[in-house]
Formats: sequence, structure tokens, C-alpha cells
Amino acid sequence: MSRYEMMSRYEMMSRYEMMSRYEMMSRDDAIDGSPVHHTFGPPVIAGIRERAELGRYPIRGWGARRAVPDFDDLLLLTASASRYPLEGYRERCDTRTVLGARRAARPVVLDIPITIAGMSFGSLSANAKEALGRAASQVGTSTTTGDGGMTPEERSASRTLVYQCLPSRYGFNPVDLRAADAVEIVLGQGAKPGGGGMLLGQKVGARVAGMRTLPEGVDQRSASRHPDWTGPDDLKIKIEEIREATDWQVPVYVKIGATRVDHDVRLAVAAGADVVVVDGMQGGTGATQDAFIEHTGIPTLAAVRLAADALADLGLTGDVGLIISGGVRTGADVAKALALGADAVSLGVAPLIALGCNAPTYRLPAAGEPAGAGAGIEVDVSAEYTALGTAPGHCTHCHTGACPVGITTQDDALAARLDPALGARRVANYLRALAMETTMLARACGKSDVHRLEPEDLVALTVEAAAMARVPLAGTDWIPGR
Amino acid sequence: MCGIAGLHLKDHALRERLGSMVTGMLRGVAERGPDSAGVAIHDPGGLRVRKDVGDPLAFADRIDLAGQTGLRALAHTRMATESAVTAAHCHPFVAGTAPAADGSPAPPGGMPLDGTELCLVHNGSFANHATIRRRLAAAGVTTETDNDSEVAARYLAARLGAGDDLAAALRRLTATFDGFFTLAVTTADSFAVVRDPIGCKPAIIAETDQWVAMVSEYRALLGLPGLADATVFEPEPEEVYLWAS
Ligand SMILES: Cc1cc2nc3c(=O)[nH]c(=O)nc-3n(C[C@H](O)[C@H](O)[C@H](O)COP(=O)(O)O)c2cc1C
Ligand code: SF4
Repeated sequence: MSRYEMMSRYEMMSRYEMMSRYEMMSRDDAIDGSPVHHTFGPPVIAGIRERAELGRYPIRGWGARRAVPDFDDLLLLTASASRYPLEGYRERCDTRTVLGARRAARPVVLDIPITIAGMSFGSLSANAKEALGRAASQVGTSTTTGDGGMTPEERSASRTLVYQCLPSRYGFNPVDLRAADAVEIVLGQGAKPGGGGMLLGQKVGARVAGMRTLPEGVDQRSASRHPDWTGPDDLKIKIEEIREATDWQVPVYVKIGATRVDHDVRLAVAAGADVVVVDGMQGGTGATQDAFIEHTGIPTLAAVRLAADALADLGLTGDVGLIISGGVRTGADVAKALALGADAVSLGVAPLIALGCNAPTYRLPAAGEPAGAGAGIEVDVSAEYTALGTAPGHCTHCHTGACPVGITTQDDALAARLDPALGARRVANYLRALAMETTMLARACGKSDVHRLEPEDLVALTVEAAAMARVPLAGTDWIPGR
Repeated sequence: MCGIAGLHLKDHALRERLGSMVTGMLRGVAERGPDSAGVAIHDPGGLRVRKDVGDPLAFADRIDLAGQTGLRALAHTRMATESAVTAAHCHPFVAGTAPAADGSPAPPGGMPLDGTELCLVHNGSFANHATIRRRLAAAGVTTETDNDSEVAARYLAARLGAGDDLAAALRRLTATFDGFFTLAVTTADSFAVVRDPIGCKPAIIAETDQWVAMVSEYRALLGLPGLADATVFEPEPEEVYLWAS
């Protein structure tokens, strides 16, 4: 979807739903004949009223709504006469991706450079976690645990499972650590760099509470800083501790929310990271303060280039892996991220949409019917979106736990709306389609391996994107700042 | 896109005739590359490299190519793709292979010829040379032009400097470079040909007891002595063909 289509989607949605006045600033139009006030537009008024009523900040799921420079602002220079394209289907275009081969005895080997990001059991239902795990295993990629620990369903469903070590340490234990295929130390997320996790009481059910050793039904705030280390010097010791606990078998990832990317990537490497995961400001979340989501961090587009350049400057391109996340939706996004220097991308919100998030209906297999074998049962839940104050296609209400399609909930009745096998099939289809789009574009650029896409294959549509991605503005050889 | 030709004499008695043989071969591929031309000739006395912009046949006359002696030669006619038409952008690209004094993998460009050089002519275009150029630069290997073929020459030279033999370096090149290519490479004692995994750009090899010749077009072989008895074949994709004296 292009950014321009996104804009028209903004138009369609209720203006009162928009919390940021950023979009309003680009509009001089009027609603119902009355001029729009730029400083105190309708969304701002609605936001002030909400705060006045609740006495707290608005919280929601997903990532930044505002339009920021992104992969849609880049275009690929595919082959023509001076270069030649490769034929689809019959000429090789590899997607195999190896992460963490530098130190780990068992590096992570993926069939596609597209992974599933860390999303906690707690924010997601057990069925949703299982569906993502099964889908990833079907297409040969990895999933990641999240705040709150590892469930047995997830471990058995996911062939390659990355185990997160977060500031909260909820559900973190040495047994699960040794059962993981990689360990990801989370310093932050793009949706809330510098902020801690959040799980509202309605989602802290008996099982989630048990895994986190917390009381049931009480809002949970998790730490924004690790309890046993601060800074790269201590992190180095922490990474060694994890390596010893896992007998140097598995790679250690370090995940950062994109802010001071150049420094943070260098420090993650200095501390011993095998893979750096950089999550841009569009990165999704299960529940975070709106002020965090919209006003912190830098766009994924700027982050990927900074991170890739930092690794190149250290002479570690390819040796230390780079995973990029935050707003990756299509194979075109994947191809552009790889061209800018990512080894792989990671997806949060998009696979949830593939599972059925924001759909007006949920589907279950009919009684006695295996998933996907027949039409199954389709149930309309539009009214439940309305009850949440939203509509299918506009929902970001993951924090409420009342997910109409059973993905971000701990309510057993709601969770039963998601069939793990059916969900897995849809997510696997989606991931396959992304991989096909990526190889299609790579072949058109003459590459026999998607990892051979390079910045020189890109141009930018806007001066902003050209400056952030450090590729020329289309039709020129001008890179702002060069 | 370009025309390329390479000649390796097994019978050194033909040394006096090398120039006239190569002139005929260059004429046969001239239409493929009207922008510029170049030759590299290995003679016991050393390596001679000449390149210039303009019509390849006039170039051959100007440098008296027919009168040159040697044991091995490359010739190239160029139709520029992405980089400029200048003498510096002409093939053959020449790269030193001896490790630099400071121990870095291969010397930077522009070093005086010392007999360890590798020469390369290329027909096709690479699709990922920018990345490889950056990797070489990070390892201290610099390029003099923005030409994609120069990157291949520097890459091979760096591999030879690092201890690979020519066949191993060429195999590594086919696994590392994307794009379409037929390459002919010479060193002080060998001649090699390799094509991309698809074998898109044309190549014909003819071999007799006295010589081996590789050309872009069959007609460029006409006039070579003993051609009627030569083994003539199209080299297989990705296979390294190598002759050493
Ligand atoms: C429902 C949900 C829950 C998440 N939970 C976690 C988490 O527990 N730990 C974490 O590091 N990131 C978490 N994230 C962030 C993702 O790992 C990832 O960084 C982000 O979703 C990527 O951006 P995208 O959603 O635009 O693909 C969560 C995201 C979502 C949507
Ligand atoms: S449909 Fe469910 S998963 Fe999707 S945004 Fe709404 S609450 Fe979140």
C-alpha cells in the first residue's frame, strides 16, 4: 500500500480517532464548512477531553499512525539494458539467511529473511502464539517469545524460537533459556524506546499471572531498564553469562528501539551481540502510551541505514547480523530493507492482520472439518468493534483484551475464535507471498540472492527519504548532505 | 556490452605472429564495441598494455598491433554500459597481485608493473559490484574507476594475493558476483576463461596443439592458422577453463 493510499485511508477514518495533529497540519480543508484549527483541531480536542475525563494518558496497540518517511518513499532500479534481470521460477534466487554464525555453535538458519517479532503471551492469546509458531515452522523461519516467557505450545509449534530477555524478566528462567534457539536481550522497542512494557489487568488472567508471578487482574507495568546491568560494559558481562548458560551454542541478539542508532549499534556490538535488532518508530506494540508511540524514536527508514553504516564502519557487515523491524508489510518493503543493509526483517502487526486482526468476521472450521478443508463457519463481529469505539480496519484496541477476533486477548471465549491451524495457514501464505515478492524484485534487479540487493539499487521519491536512506533523489545523482 | 578476445600460445615459435593473429581477432569483434579498445600482451620481456577511446580498428593501426610479439594476449572492444568512455575505463583492467609491503591483501591500483599482474577483459555487466567494491575498500583494496569490470580484476588480484590459485579465485568470483559475464583472464603464465551460471554472454573457444583462442563471435577466429583442425566449443557456464605455460 502506498503512503498516498494510506493518506486517503486517513481521510476515511473518523478524524476524531486521530490523536496526532500532524496529519491535520497538511490540510487546509474544512469539515462541514467550518475551518479546521491547526493547533487545536478535532483530534486534539478529542485527546484533551479524553485526558480530562480519564486523568491519564491514552493507551493503545500498534505503532505510529502518523505518516513518516518510509519504504514507500523508495523505488527499486530494476534491470533493463545496462543490467539484466533473472527469469522468475527457473533461475535461482536464494533467500537462505544465516544469523549469528560468528560465535554460536548452532547459528540460526532460516529459509527466508522474514521473521516473526517478539510478541508476548499475555498480549497475544496462546492460540495466536501457536498459530504464529506453526506458520513460521511451515515456511522455515523463526518466532520470538516476549515479555512473560515461553509457553510449551509455542516451543513445540516453532522450529526456531528466539527467547527474549527483557527488563521485567517475567517468566525468564534457565530451563527455557536452554530450550531456545537464540536469545534476544531487549533494550527497547521502536514503539516505546526508553519505556517499559504494559499489560492491563483485563489481560492478566490466571495463566499469565502465574507465569509472571503477579496477582491476577491487576495492571502490570514492566521495567524500562534491566535490573542487573546498565550500559554496554555491564551488558558485556550479561551476554557472557547467557553464553555460558547456553554453552556457547546459540546466538545472542540485542534489540534496540531506534533512537541514537549509530551509538547503540556500536555498543551492542562492543558488548558482544551476534545480531542487532533495530525496531523503528513505526514498530507495533500490544499496549503503550500514545505519546510514546507517536513522539519517540526515528523512522525505520532512517534507522536501517544508520545501523547498516555502523556495522560497515566496524567492518562487520555480514558477521554481525542486522534485523530491521517497524512497519514492514510487503515484499517490496523487505527488498528495500535488505538493499539498505538488513540481513532480515521482523514483523509484528502484519502477521496479526494475516491472522484476522481487523477483519469484520472470524472463521472457524466446521465441526469435524480439518482447517482449510471447507468453507467453515464465518461469524460477523463488526458490532464488537463498534462496542470498542472503533470499526474493522481501524482497530488498535489490543490493550483492552477484548479483541473481537481472539488474537490479543486472554478471555477463553474470545481466544476460541482463533483456530491455530487455520490461522497458521493464513500467516504461512502471507509469509510465502512476501518471500515471492522479494525474490521477484531481486531477480528483476539481476540478483541471484536477495541478500545481494544493495543501496545502489534504490532511489528516493522525496528529499526527506533521500537524506535518511542516503540514496539519490529519483532522476538525479543528488544525495542530500553528500 | 563488448567484444572480447584472448589468445594463448602453446607453441612459442608463433611468438612473432601473435600481433597479427590478435589483430584479426580484434577486427572480428570490433562491431560489438565501437566506443573504445584495448590490448594486453604478455611477452618474455614484460607486459604491454595499450588502451584508447575511439574506433578499435584505427586503434589497432595506431599502436601497430599487427607488429607486436608475445606469448599471450587479451583484446577488448567496448560499448559502455554504466561508466564513462575514457581511456581509464577501457579494458583490459590490470591489477597487481603481490601482497603490499604492509601485509594488506593486495596493493592499491596504480602500482608500477612488476610481473605479478593479472589482466582481465569482461563482456557483460555485474549486478552487485557496488557492494563488492565497498568490501574490497574496507580490506584496503582501492579501485581507480567506477567501472564494474575493474572490481572483478581487483577482486581476483586480491584473491591471488591472499594465496588462491587462479582457478580457485575464478570459482570464488562466480560464487560472489551477480550479473552476466564472460571473462578472459591472463597472468604471466596462464590464460583462463569463465562464464556466469547462466552463460548469457557469447563465448567460443578454439584449441589446437599450438594455441588456444577465446572470442565473443565465431567469425573472430577466422584466419587463425590451423583453425580447420582446431577443437571448437562453447564453454560451459560456471566452469573454469585454464591453460598454463
Ligand atoms: C501485540 C504486540 C506485542 C508485542 N510484544 C513485544 C514484546 O513482548 N517484546 C518486544 O520486544 N516487542 C514486542 N512487540 C514489538 C515487536 O516485537 C516488534 O518490534 C514490532 O511489532 C515491529 O513492528 P511492526 O509491528 O510494525 O511489524 C510487540 C508488538 C505487538 C504488535
Ligand atoms: S482486531 Fe484485535 S489484534 Fe487487531 S487491533 Fe483490534 S484488538 Fe488488536
